[in-house]
Amino acid sequence: MTNNKVKIKTEKLNVFYGQKQALKNVNLEIYNREVTALIGPSGCGKSTYIRCINRMNDVIETCKISGSIKIDGQEINNKQIDVVRLRERIGMVFQKPNPFPKSIYDNVAYGPQIHGLADHKDKLDQIVQTSLKKSALWEEVKDRLDEPGTSLSGGQQQRLCIARAISVNPEVILMDEPCSALDPIATAKIEELMEELKKTFTIVIVTHSMAQAVRVSQRTGFFHLGNLIEVDTTDKMFKNPNNKMTQDYITGRFG
Amino acid sequence: MSEEKRIVKSYEEEMQSLNDDLVKMGSLTESQLSDTIQAIVKIDKEAAENIIKNDVQINELRAKIDDQISTVLVKRAPMAIDLRTTISSLKISHDLERIGDLAKSVAKKIEPLPIDLPQELTGSLKRLGELVQKQLNNVLDAYITKSKDKAVDVWRNDEQVDDLTHIAMNEVANFLGKNKKNLELATHLLFVTKNIERAGDHVTNIAESLYYLIEGEYLEGARPKGKEFVKDK
Repeated sequence: MTNNKVKIKTEKLNVFYGQKQALKNVNLEIYNREVTALIGPSGCGKSTYIRCINRMNDVIETCKISGSIKIDGQEINNKQIDVVRLRERIGMVFQKPNPFPKSIYDNVAYGPQIHGLADHKDKLDQIVQTSLKKSALWEEVKDRLDEPGTSLSGGQQQRLCIARAISVNPEVILMDEPCSALDPIATAKIEELMEELKKTFTIVIVTHSMAQAVRVSQRTGFFHLGNLIEVDTTDKMFKNPNNKMTQDYITGRFG
Repeated sequence: MSEEKRIVKSYEEEMQSLNDDLVKMGSLTESQLSDTIQAIVKIDKEAAENIIKNDVQINELRAKIDDQISTVLVKRAPMAIDLRTTISSLKISHDLERIGDLAKSVAKKIEPLPIDLPQELTGSLKRLGELVQKQLNNVLDAYITKSKDKAVDVWRNDEQVDDLTHIAMNEVANFLGKNKKNLELATHLLFVTKNIERAGDHVTNIAESLYYLIEGEYLEGARPKGKEFVKDK
């Protein structure tokens, strides 16, 4: 199951929002074509962590980041990196589905267009169709591609956002609580989809649902107050964690 | 292994109640087993009847524990130590129930036995019974104190149970060898001996479940084995 090839490696990663330190010396390896789940109480730094990977924190003026973030061995935490190109490689799906106020088709076509991935209409049509198929939405929307993305249900919108993320053929998909606004059926569809997506992409998911972490991930990291307390295979983490804090958190003894 | 309390009080209470019922079931099973050993040594037919009657209490507790466990699983999706406690409790309660069944089965064999059972036949059987009873007592003690070391001790001591079984069976076989008329009595006693040994095996299972509960790992290596039963020449 594990191919043990490191896709993302962070070393001594420190993040400050003004005076407040959000991440403290985080050393974490994310393996290629696996789902890594990040868990921990609110404010523990797990979302901050994934926002470092595609440099989303750049837009926050008070945010200061030190340490190393390497993707396939290449340092991305420096000024030379083309952030637009980086975000093409690293897609993101957010807690609330946030389709553009455009048609279903345009939502998916937007990325490939701006990144110049399609030189003619047929190619673009093909990318849109493939992306919607990969996100398991195609059958539900193929006859209404001109309708606004916002006309879809919440679960469908989230799958549309996943289609949008994968349309530019990224290497990594970051998911920040992608199911927290969805009902159990829509959640199950996303989880089922992740199973499929991990064959092609490396996925990092932040989740508050430990049951979800167990279901979808192969490795799990537990954050607390900006520290990465423990990371291990998901099986080990939820059956027999090494750290008492991990155990106390997952058994509902603090949080 | 002291644990802080869970944030959700009702969850804490459910796990506590599961623990209490398992301890209660353990103590009931222990007294059933010890009564059975006493009854067979003394050929106490009245006591045997009570043992047979009381078995239902153990079965009822097991059913209650099963139900509690399925409720905890669906309601709480227990993790880590809670998951291991839940799974181990399920297994332990089933082993206890089987020990209860075996005690009952031994008690049923008492009725056809003659009052004046030769002393030579009950000596080793008594020692075997007492050893298994002590093993059960120790493993329940280990459960209550969550002692990994005590669980391992019980697990190791199963070798003694096997050795004593071997001796007791040889005694019965020798008794049968003396006179073929002893066949019926000898058969009864062989079953009794084997049932007590099996109760010992369930005690060992409990030690293994307990070890997993505490350590999150399985007891390594093959279970210690005593000598196989071979009739002495």
